[in-house]
Amino acid sequence: MGSKEKQKKEKQKHSSVMLEERRLPVFLLLPAAALIIFVIAFPMIYSLYLSFTNFTLVSQSAPKFVGFRNYMLLFQDSVFLPALGRTVLYIMITVNIELVLGLFIANAMSHVVRGQGILRTILMMPMMFAPILVGFQFKWIFNDQVGLVNNILFEIFQKPVIIPWLIQKPLGFITILVAEVWMSTPFMVIIFLAGILSISPDIIDAAEVDGTTEWQKFIHVIVPSVAPFIYIALAVRSLDVARAYDLVSIMTGGGPAHRTELIWTYVYRLAFTSQNFAIGSAMSYITVLIAIAFTFYFFRQLIKMRKGSGV
Amino acid sequence: MKKLLTITLALLLVAGFAFAGGTQEVAAPSVLKCAFVGGANYEELYKEIPKWEAKTGMKVEIVYKGDGFQIDKKLKMDFAAGSVDYDVCWDHSSFFTQYIKADGIVPLDDYFSADELKDFIPMILNSGKRDGKLWIIPRHFDISCLHYRTDLFQDFGLTVPETWDAFKATALKVQPNLPAGVYATEFAGKEEALTGRFYEVLSCEGAEYFDKNWKPGFNAPGGVKAATMFQDLYKAGAMPPGMTSFVWEDVVKNWVAGNIVMYTEWYGWYSYFQDPSASKVAGLFDIARQPKGDAGVYGGWAGQHAFSITKASKQKETAADFIKFITSAESQMVEANLGILVTSNSVWAKIIVEAKQAGDPLAVKRLELAQFQAANDFRTPPLVAEWLPSSDIVYPLVQAIILGDKTPKEGLDEAAAKVEAMMKDRGYY
Repeated sequence: MGSKEKQKKEKQKHSSVMLEERRLPVFLLLPAAALIIFVIAFPMIYSLYLSFTNFTLVSQSAPKFVGFRNYMLLFQDSVFLPALGRTVLYIMITVNIELVLGLFIANAMSHVVRGQGILRTILMMPMMFAPILVGFQFKWIFNDQVGLVNNILFEIFQKPVIIPWLIQKPLGFITILVAEVWMSTPFMVIIFLAGILSISPDIIDAAEVDGTTEWQKFIHVIVPSVAPFIYIALAVRSLDVARAYDLVSIMTGGGPAHRTELIWTYVYRLAFTSQNFAIGSAMSYITVLIAIAFTFYFFRQLIKMRKGSGV
Repeated sequence: MKKLLTITLALLLVAGFAFAGGTQEVAAPSVLKCAFVGGANYEELYKEIPKWEAKTGMKVEIVYKGDGFQIDKKLKMDFAAGSVDYDVCWDHSSFFTQYIKADGIVPLDDYFSADELKDFIPMILNSGKRDGKLWIIPRHFDISCLHYRTDLFQDFGLTVPETWDAFKATALKVQPNLPAGVYATEFAGKEEALTGRFYEVLSCEGAEYFDKNWKPGFNAPGGVKAATMFQDLYKAGAMPPGMTSFVWEDVVKNWVAGNIVMYTEWYGWYSYFQDPSASKVAGLFDIARQPKGDAGVYGGWAGQHAFSITKASKQKETAADFIKFITSAESQMVEANLGILVTSNSVWAKIIVEAKQAGDPLAVKRLELAQFQAANDFRTPPLVAEWLPSSDIVYPLVQAIILGDKTPKEGLDEAAAKVEAMMKDRGYY
């Protein structure tokens, strides 16, 4: 009997130690979790709440609940829907151009035997600049009066060429695309280069033994092999481009006449200059949903592919 | 259990620190905290602050400095969040109505006697009043006048335009004779800079931006005429193709590069324009009163940089004393010597005498004309918190008109409908 009680006590002690051990990680994570809730979840929930109110930056009265009014107003706004469409187009075009360029450059770099490190460093330089600086740089490059491009055209044609790159349709949109692609293609290259270098040499050798051309090898061996890297890079860049603000704000400010307006330049103007935080919050949430949709799509493709390949 | 207690305490500490960030207190009485506009010429005045510190034994701490739009954003955010930790803040005639609405600043009538205010130029001082109360104390102001190239006017036989019609006709007449890259005129073509200029011209042409019930009136014939002038000048190539992306600095760069024949510009740039090492137009330009419109009203879009006392301040008397010092005639001389247009009549008298003694006729003309305009033409944008939100609606549509995407009437009607909806939403009617 005595030994049974002892065993029972031992068991109880053991299970209480086990429980404490199981709880300990949870407790240890609590401060970090509390901090995350405070700095991320709380502002997000609060701005979600604001998007259902009539809150403006200069109103003295407490925010009044207005239901989905702000969301409905947005869909009647003649600026919002084109800006939304332009943002989606901006994401699709930049990310796809970066993908193609990234794959080709990474493939070319994988063949470089000497000086690859230096090349990689040089290639990463655009990523080292803050978007705001890239914006100023391209604003000058495309300036209609003193810009680099018009000056080059002047040298070529030997007469003044004044093309308002940042103004004309669709040149304004194209210039911000060019700046974005210049700034971010190196990210794709680095990711894809890591993928290409991780391909087993046996696979490449086998393809070469089969007599594939460089193009066939690229399309049928290299691209499928780096597909997981592609999906991850696409997801990351889509999220990144969906947040585009600094560069566009500096280069065109979303103008003129809303011609290059993207969601975030419009959010900033509505929320801060126009004082309408509530509509700004509603618009932000719509953008977040779009970004989530893109990410979800790419990750689903990635998972599908991993299942298919048995990786 | 001990672990649990420790963790709970840590959590409470984290939460405590986090919440403490949201409830800042205004400075202890020995420190006066300020949020100011910063950069270039604005900084010189702040070098006078040690004199006030020596006199009062107080310490002035400038907790924030940013350009006009940055500090406007900060003030709105702080007033909305209740996180104001400064006693004196920068203010501006175009912006202060927002801060009144946000309950962020206090009326100053109780802190400044009539005697203390008598030296300020009345039209400027009055532009800081709303609902019969004084909210801002003027630091300096600016107003535009017509700048024109004397050499080119002589070469092409042009006369100085006195009306906006003449301004447009002169620009259209001279443009075909100019070499590529040189333009008859230009304006800052975006944001409040464009709305403000549009507001100025339409006022001259007899329209109102807002009527007395705060309904938009800028789509009336006077407004349409103003927008048509911008569109016609652009269409004729009398303004640079990129003008809708220009802010003040871009226009100024084009002027000092010698690429503009005439345009309306603020007085504040004068010393830069006359510096031969930086400006190709030094000694080659003259100035004139802004043109007038059909209503007989002269252009006079103006603004003043100013100071206010925050509602959160626990030492409003001290804050007022500081503002009296920093806007005194002695302090204003610092900015007057930099060529900035100050707001004290006694300083004006002094600098005009000094300019006459220096023997620079244009400098004298500039000061006398600026003083004349300040007394007669000084006109701020509508004193309403929704000026900037309305500007955000109006300027893209004025751009669309300039670029030919919309007719003037079509664009302004669209803008008016949007502004009216916004004002209705904000409870004006």
